[in-house]
Amino acid sequence: MVQVEAPDTVPLRLQGGAERPLIEVRNLKTHFVTEEGVVRAVDGASFEIQRGKTLGVVGESGCGKSVAARSILQIVDRPGRIVGGEIIYRSGRAQPSGELDLLALAPNSEEIRAIRGGSISMIFQEPMSSFSPVHTFGNQIVEAIRLHKDASIREARTLAVEWLERVGMPNPRLRLTEYPHQLSGGQRQRAMIAMALSTNPEMLIADEPTTALDVTTQAQILDLLRQLQAETGMAILFITHDLGVVAELADDVAVMYLGRVVEHGPVRSIFENPKHPYTKALLSSIPRIDAENRERLPSIVGAIPHPYNRPPGCPFHPRCPAYMVGTCEKRTPNLVDVGARHEAACFLYEGA
Amino acid sequence: MATNERAADPSPTILEVKNLKKYFPIHGGILRRTIGMVRAVDGVSFSLRQGETLSLVGESGCGKTTTARCVLRAIDPTSGEILFHRKDGQVTDLARLSQSDIRPLRRDIQLVFQDPFGSLNPRMTIFEIVSEPLYVNGVRNHKQRRERVAELLRQVGMRPEYMSRYPHAFSGGQRQRIGIARALALNPRLVVADEPVSGLDVSVKAQVLNLMMDLQDKLGLTYLFVSHDLSVVNQISDRVVVMYVGRVVEVGTPRELFRTPKHPYTAALLSAIPKPDPSQRGDRIVLTGEVASPANPPSGCHFHPRCPFAIDRCRTEAPPMEEMGPGRFASCHRARELSLVGAGQARL
Repeated sequence: MVQVEAPDTVPLRLQGGAERPLIEVRNLKTHFVTEEGVVRAVDGASFEIQRGKTLGVVGESGCGKSVAARSILQIVDRPGRIVGGEIIYRSGRAQPSGELDLLALAPNSEEIRAIRGGSISMIFQEPMSSFSPVHTFGNQIVEAIRLHKDASIREARTLAVEWLERVGMPNPRLRLTEYPHQLSGGQRQRAMIAMALSTNPEMLIADEPTTALDVTTQAQILDLLRQLQAETGMAILFITHDLGVVAELADDVAVMYLGRVVEHGPVRSIFENPKHPYTKALLSSIPRIDAENRERLPSIVGAIPHPYNRPPGCPFHPRCPAYMVGTCEKRTPNLVDVGARHEAACFLYEGA
Repeated sequence: MATNERAADPSPTILEVKNLKKYFPIHGGILRRTIGMVRAVDGVSFSLRQGETLSLVGESGCGKTTTARCVLRAIDPTSGEILFHRKDGQVTDLARLSQSDIRPLRRDIQLVFQDPFGSLNPRMTIFEIVSEPLYVNGVRNHKQRRERVAELLRQVGMRPEYMSRYPHAFSGGQRQRIGIARALALNPRLVVADEPVSGLDVSVKAQVLNLMMDLQDKLGLTYLFVSHDLSVVNQISDRVVVMYVGRVVEVGTPRELFRTPKHPYTAALLSAIPKPDPSQRGDRIVLTGEVASPANPPSGCHFHPRCPFAIDRCRTEAPPMEEMGPGRFASCHRARELSLVGAGQARL
């Protein structure tokens, strides 16, 4: 059983289990069975999220980053199904031993529903997917709070106003009576963050929350997330395709390609000393503001394969400059240590 | 300037936009009367030389796309001039032409769309898509069209055999190449590209940008490039026009603009871009507030409510566009006294 009432005052990182990750995803497989074939959206992904830290999951379209994150809460859209793996959750709010395999819970069980939006919240790229257009912000946030907390409507409203204030919403009391379409994109994003955090989650899953925003608004939202993390001690799983945002926000980084984590490590190691050929290529192909003007960019050859035509072996081998014939297309490399807390899945490194 | 010979090259002018305005009416009340105006583009001027890339950049609502659509005459401008210099030397004001008079000029000005998924008809083969402009413009011979399409596909780095396939068989980057091939079918002189790489993944974005630069060098194309992404703009442009709420705030080469910005908005925009380098984390100018609405823009300088350097004058008086150097313009009362920090320098 999971308890979701934690004393708000005790920082979560102090509640034992300091060394072990809050969430460990091991060999996760989430497949979509369609009439045309099986899309192996996530196919053996492994990563971990430390308590109070930010893991940036980065990858291009179709790499499975969103599906992997949704698998944690078991909210993968049909026809997607989690077909293998483990997601170990060490909640600071559960029983002393507090180790739980989230995938062992039934998708509609009371336990996972208490976790969803309770101890693990999620925010999205499009705030309108979190809010109903026909209810006021106030009613929606109050409902979210009361689902996870034993609070009266009056208490919940006070809490909602408090959270809207904390996310920097002007006139929070007035906002409660408004509908989502009345706010700008940046403000809706703030309201969504307020709703997600109003239940004091241990972890926030943020799925491209700033992708649709202008850069100046994006900078505001990233600052806000950083500040709220410092205040609440929550962990953040931040999903993005933008390596700039990852460099800005993350403590650790997992790079995904076609359903697998190809590299995982501390943010500075990944950016300063990338090991996997895909990570290296990705980093060198970003247009940079401080680059020489009209310089040709090194680019990765080819395109991301169609999900039905997934290459055998290492999924990156057809585009890889370091492709070793006879090895890369035959076997799938595993993550091996390449540095301090730094792993890469490539046959260039021994043991993969 | 010496580092950028392309921009210094005194090529003839191909397009001059002068004091362009586009207002959209806001209707309200029971009688649907006009109760206000959205000043999407409010007095924009710039000029393009043949063979160069000029980029319009800014955040949503700044009027960059509306400006481009006026140049294409996809919409009718409210006022102002759009002078197009034709190959025979004649100058035509596109703003004043009727839709039927403009048709012969359309082959000279082509468009590359943002969305490579929405802009290609899924029921047409690649041959049909790329050859349609040829057919419409009188190339009725099938064999001639096939040869031209094959040549165009090769030019954009695709195999001619692909022409019998349908768009769904291609990835985003390949579709964007097809869109470029279609735009080039009639040998245009000016290509308007509206966010052509925004929908693409990083690894493919670089390919398409490289292709566009190669084609420009080979075919002598002129690009009017619209983008919100300053890093992409830095990569491809010779000159950049920064817009904010319907007006131009700064003009210059990417090097000048991004290393020594003169307008506080440009500096803030540069500072807000997340840098792919964890050691440069933090130390940003984070603007407060949001982009003003073009339906109800602030008085004076549109940027003053968010500007960290605003003085009383900024609230009442709109700053004129001043020349700061050759081809270098800024519209800020304090442009000469402020020393702002650009990209690639130590933070303050």
